[in-house]
Amino acid sequence: MISIRRQLTRELLAAFLLLLGGALAALYFAARDEIIEQFDDALRAKAAAISSLTFQEETGLRVDASDQLFRSFGREHPRDFFEIRADNGHALARSPSLADADLPLPNKSLDRPRFWNLDLPDGRPGRAMALKFTPMQEEGEPRANAARPQLDLVVASDSEPLVEALTELLIIGAACGALGVGATAWLVSRVLRRGLQPLARLGEQTARINADSLTTRFPTGDLPAELQPIVSRFNELLARLEISFERERRFSADLAHELRTPLAELRSLAECALKWPESRDRATDEEVLAAATQMQMMVTSLLALARGDQHQLVAGAVPVNLFELATEAWHPHAARAGQRELKVRWALAPVTVAADPALLRSVMGNLFENAVDYTATGGEIEIRLEVIAGSARLRVANPVENLQAGDVAKMFDRFWRKEEARSGGKHFGLGLSLARMFAEAMGWTLTAELAARGRLEFTLAGPVRE
Amino acid sequence: MRVLIVEDSPRLQRTIGTALRKSGYAVDVAGDGEEGLWMAESHDYDVIILDIMLPKRDGLAVLGDLRQHGKSTHVLLLTARDTVPDRVRGLRAGADDYLIKPFALDELLARVESLCRRAYGTKQALITVSDLEIDTLGRRVRRRGREIELSAREYLLLEYLARRRGQVVSRAEVEEHIYDEQVDPMSNVVDSAICCLRKKLAVGGDSPLIHTRRGLGYALEEVPAGAVSS
Repeated sequence: MISIRRQLTRELLAAFLLLLGGALAALYFAARDEIIEQFDDALRAKAAAISSLTFQEETGLRVDASDQLFRSFGREHPRDFFEIRADNGHALARSPSLADADLPLPNKSLDRPRFWNLDLPDGRPGRAMALKFTPMQEEGEPRANAARPQLDLVVASDSEPLVEALTELLIIGAACGALGVGATAWLVSRVLRRGLQPLARLGEQTARINADSLTTRFPTGDLPAELQPIVSRFNELLARLEISFERERRFSADLAHELRTPLAELRSLAECALKWPESRDRATDEEVLAAATQMQMMVTSLLALARGDQHQLVAGAVPVNLFELATEAWHPHAARAGQRELKVRWALAPVTVAADPALLRSVMGNLFENAVDYTATGGEIEIRLEVIAGSARLRVANPVENLQAGDVAKMFDRFWRKEEARSGGKHFGLGLSLARMFAEAMGWTLTAELAARGRLEFTLAGPVRE
Repeated sequence: MRVLIVEDSPRLQRTIGTALRKSGYAVDVAGDGEEGLWMAESHDYDVIILDIMLPKRDGLAVLGDLRQHGKSTHVLLLTARDTVPDRVRGLRAGADDYLIKPFALDELLARVESLCRRAYGTKQALITVSDLEIDTLGRRVRRRGREIELSAREYLLLEYLARRRGQVVSRAEVEEHIYDEQVDPMSNVVDSAICCLRKKLAVGGDSPLIHTRRGLGYALEEVPAGAVSS
């Protein structure tokens, strides 16, 4: 599993290592060059001193070694060495520290001073400088150019202190580097842990959420700005989930309840008939059939809703004469409306719409059935068909009692009924959910509102076919 | 024993009513909460079978009102609400039992029977008065080991008297507990039923067990205590 903290720690440490390594290497090389430069300056000074104290005399070459400078060139505790050679390579003079040994000359031409590392005759590491010079004739004055022989001077010094200093520098650099890396690893880990704390807290809180704790909301007040939009969206998602879980829970409970009552009826009818066969008559069988039919209707409605939920509902779009279809859909309810002495006020305009006739008939049938069943005896139902801005609107309005605006909002919920009691019969509270689903499958809308004079008005709207 | 069914499903009213009547109970039926409450307060039922989701008045509200008005009638909630919180709410509202739909008819009858027994302060299924044994589970009556055939109504009357043995039971109380609203209160059904029951219990010249206390009512006991028997 990828961990942001581990990944950031790794990458930050790698970056720091690279920077620190580069900086330490640059520091080391700069310091080394500086130390060698100083060492070479010392060699140059010694060479200058030797060349100024070397005299060409009639008898030969004389090096005035009385100077303090030459103490380190002595036989005891030798630290410095020099050798003067003629053009032919013949050694003309050498420091007592060399005894009989020679200092090698570089392979390169000595037109300018040359520096190099070498092994001293006693085996120690050393650094040498070679140059050409002209010996003095008399103290302080070189000989005239014509008679001045050019000699090779090689000066070498024990470079052990130099190597030791450089090694020490390297050790200090490495130690500082290691310490820096360790401290940085600790610091980065701490800083990241602290910096990512809100994220870790959010993760823990999220892990605790399950179907029973959907009411949880994350506080956004003390969150970093980067996390605020995520948490806000997450809270919105939780709110939607809570609503949908609640609806699902209610639906399952309602479904169980709706099925339990007819099941109880069927079971008790059957048990009564078995226990007291003489009590079973035609009416009993009719009740069994009615209960079974009621369950069948409910299951059919639920299956249609399930198909709609899975987008398996296919709606056609053919020209339909809405006026004719509305009249046709009213027909099955006319007799019952007559029995209940309901007055029906029609205001229909001929209009052709694009719809699926079977679905549209079903939607209108449901609206008409509800209006007939829920209008008080002797009440008035109003059915109006009009065209507004290219949209056909069928309005079905009837007077209702004890209905609140909140009820209208829930009216399309599955199994919703004003009266909580499920007294059986043909209304399960699924008709309006189905009607709206059918309407939406055709691209139509079905809405409800409480209109003036205590009437409930449903509006079914869809496009007019040109 | 008289039972009130408050249930909005006409089919369940019919089947539960039939089952209870066939088992010898007097049964009244109400189809909504308001009617149920009115009936429960107007009569002295032994058990009320109460649905929760009722038109006009919720079953739990009916139960709450009954308890508030001091009615301690045993109530069995019969409902499709099956969750634990629903059951807890029902029992806390004052119900004595809770049965979930769909239910087995025998279980409903057994629970009603159990509530009836509790209504008379006993948990025993066998009631003995002198040499008379009443098996309330099997609904059988024996005297000196001999089985006595009784009609459902006669059995109900005997069981009621036996549950209140040693006490004087008024004619009105018998009417209230044994007969439902379909019986004309002005008729002498109680006297006739007592007479028939006496005859059946006295077969073989056994000593009478049901005694009349003039102007007061009837008592089922071995020896009448200073009362004139007939």
